[in-house]
Amino acid sequence: MQALLVFLAIAALSLLASSPALDPARFPALARLAAGGFLFLLFGVVLGPSVVGVLSVEDLYLLRPAMALGLGTAGVILGLNLEPRLLRLLPRPVYSAALAHAGTAFLFVAVPLFVPLLLTSRPSWHAAVGAASLLGAAASLSSGHFAVLAYRGGRMDRARGLGVALLTMLDDAVGLVVLALALLLGAAPTAGEGLGLVCLAVLLGILCGALLAFLTHALKDPAELTTVTLGMVALVGGAAAYLRVSALLAGVACGATLALVGGRTTERVARALGRVERPVFLVLVFLVGCGVYTRDWAAWALVPGFVGLRFLGKVVGGTLAQRFARGVLELPPRVGYALIAQGGLALCLVAEYQLLVPGGLSRRVLDVVVVGAVVNELLAGQAFRQVTTPSARVQPVPPPDVGVAT
Amino acid sequence: MKGAVVRLLLLMGLLAIISRAQVLRADSGTPVTLAAGALLLCGLFAGKVAKGLGLPRLTGYLLVGVAVGPYMLGFIPGEGVKGLDLVKGLAVSLIALVAGTELRLGLIRRVGARVALLCAAVCGVTFIVCFGATVALKPLLPFLAPLTLPQVLAVSALLSTVVVSFSPTVTIAIVQETSARGSFTEFLMALVIIGDLFVMVAFALAAGLTRATFGGGLDVAGLLSGVGWELFGSVAVGGLLAVVMLVYMRGVKQELPLFLVGLSFAAAEGGTRLHLSPLLVSLAAGALIANLDEREGERIHHAIQRAGLPVFALFFAAAGAGLKLDALVTVGPAALLLVVLRGGAIWFSCRRFAPSDDPRLKNYLWMGLISQAGVTFGLAALVSRTFPSFGPQVEVLIVAMITAHELVGPVLTRRALTASGEVRTDEAQGTA
Repeated sequence: MQALLVFLAIAALSLLASSPALDPARFPALARLAAGGFLFLLFGVVLGPSVVGVLSVEDLYLLRPAMALGLGTAGVILGLNLEPRLLRLLPRPVYSAALAHAGTAFLFVAVPLFVPLLLTSRPSWHAAVGAASLLGAAASLSSGHFAVLAYRGGRMDRARGLGVALLTMLDDAVGLVVLALALLLGAAPTAGEGLGLVCLAVLLGILCGALLAFLTHALKDPAELTTVTLGMVALVGGAAAYLRVSALLAGVACGATLALVGGRTTERVARALGRVERPVFLVLVFLVGCGVYTRDWAAWALVPGFVGLRFLGKVVGGTLAQRFARGVLELPPRVGYALIAQGGLALCLVAEYQLLVPGGLSRRVLDVVVVGAVVNELLAGQAFRQVTTPSARVQPVPPPDVGVAT
Repeated sequence: MKGAVVRLLLLMGLLAIISRAQVLRADSGTPVTLAAGALLLCGLFAGKVAKGLGLPRLTGYLLVGVAVGPYMLGFIPGEGVKGLDLVKGLAVSLIALVAGTELRLGLIRRVGARVALLCAAVCGVTFIVCFGATVALKPLLPFLAPLTLPQVLAVSALLSTVVVSFSPTVTIAIVQETSARGSFTEFLMALVIIGDLFVMVAFALAAGLTRATFGGGLDVAGLLSGVGWELFGSVAVGGLLAVVMLVYMRGVKQELPLFLVGLSFAAAEGGTRLHLSPLLVSLAAGALIANLDEREGERIHHAIQRAGLPVFALFFAAAGAGLKLDALVTVGPAALLLVVLRGGAIWFSCRRFAPSDDPRLKNYLWMGLISQAGVTFGLAALVSRTFPSFGPQVEVLIVAMITAHELVGPVLTRRALTASGEVRTDEAQGTA
């Protein structure tokens, strides 16, 4: 019944999102939230246990398989993007630039917010470091969808748009590394055991990725290819959930392994996954929204700090990135303003953290990041205008056949 | 086929590693997604292996489910298989929707009366044989031993009603797999569907009688209204669904497979909650669409074929994984006797009462009526829930019978269709 409720809620919201009521010309902010999936997040918050209570805490527990599937899918898609061969071709300054903008935002958020986290919840030192790191990791992530939409719509030079998109793709790696570190500190009684669990997740992903490459190697029928892809995504996410290790990290390892050894199959698998990416992502963000505890006033108090410090970190980090990437990667002026949108991976990180490190502190991190992500999405539209100037209008580029759900 | 065997073995190897790794962890998380992924993948490649061996793919799905399930190798925990009930409901709805699109008014006019008469004969003979055998087996069946004679008769009637049931899901899945078309196939499909309607009514009556013999009182009005709601309510809700589907198909024209999966999911879950028959709801919806707009009926057929492979593979592999093999040991002899008697009764009644204008019906029809699956499972679970004093033991007996029927039934159904000469291709593209 819970699953039915979720389905009906998603269906209703999908209809709403495609209705004229959300015309971008009339309600640009609302239309942007719907397009990015954040409306589903808010809908989840409203229907979740702490507001209307249509879904109870027990219901959310029963819906964990859907969460595992969503995290596994997100991980595999991310892993497919982090193609090792492509990454090796990138010059070092590009990595420095990505690390500069992501690292600056990370430090701007994680260091100052560590103190209030430690004081308000009095957890162990380890747990507070893990929670602050997660906040920093979520802050370091950016979504490139504004840049992609801008160059497709002719509001930004294509090279600059792709430069921003590349930076945002690379900061995903920073976020994932921090998630691994946070899980290492918080998911087990000792750091050694935590390391073992992270390694287990990665090993599981590598095994599944290699097997997926082998299973799909000779498959010609598209229906069979889709079935095998979906099955393996469910298997990797499900096995991780069953073993209580990170489904996201396992998924990333699976996708990256496939990208490395899959050859031509990789593209077909990515296309098959692309068909289910959007619905799976929407269900995932809806469930993440349901997990928000709105009565945690300490979390609300942390939100302005999180948003403000992240904004500053992105602006400063963007300037540094520009300096590092000069002559190698074309970036728009004031690139930090193009990196304000946070994207879906931040939600995946905190959802995963809350699943594996249960407790008040991880819930607080989730609350802060969810609310912060919505605010950042709203701010991002205004901030992005600082990057695109009317004089910079260029020819629109026909949209390629890819989606930008996360 | 060699490639499929290697892939299947590698998958099972990975599952073995995962289940070993779980032993090392102090606590475990939800196994439902793991079960879904593992059964889907294993089902797909086992289906290929079965096809290579000349068996229906469905048999491969079932057998691999049994192998990796909790009662044999134990790679998938029981909790994971139980969590897939939702998928099972979805598959039944999708299968029934396809079956509904085959129920054209012309077909019903052509064979409806003959099918109903033969169905009544088959169900009647099988019921009488199984009822007599169950009463005679009283000393051997522990749940019957302490009961009074009226109670024994009522419980035997209840058990026999469930034992009579057929499996529209298996029949339709095999028809899809073989792309069989023709009068024999139409007759078989119509018979298993009408047979299930008979069983639904008979089950409600038998359950009412059993309740009365156990001191619950005979509420005739409640009994009739319950049966009426299940039958007519299902048809009415199915009609409503058909209208929604037609509006969507004519207005939106996009993402039909996804929409149908969503709607079937809602029909399955909502139907169960409203005490309707999800099978009948989807069947009515499919039939109404096919008769109102033939072109849209064809579109539904093709759309479900596209979405059908993962759903069918998962459904039947999960059904296999849920088969309680230990039940075969405890009530094996009695179950085996009933299986043989049921098969004999179906064979006899088909030979005796099938229309003589088509000799294929007399010779091969019985083979298509052996399978039992979703409907029988559902009724057995209902007996267990409704009558906690003896129901769980009856459920074990029925599940043991289903296990035997599931393993033999699909092979026989395919053989019947092949012998009838109506199998068009060896393998329909992208189907079960």
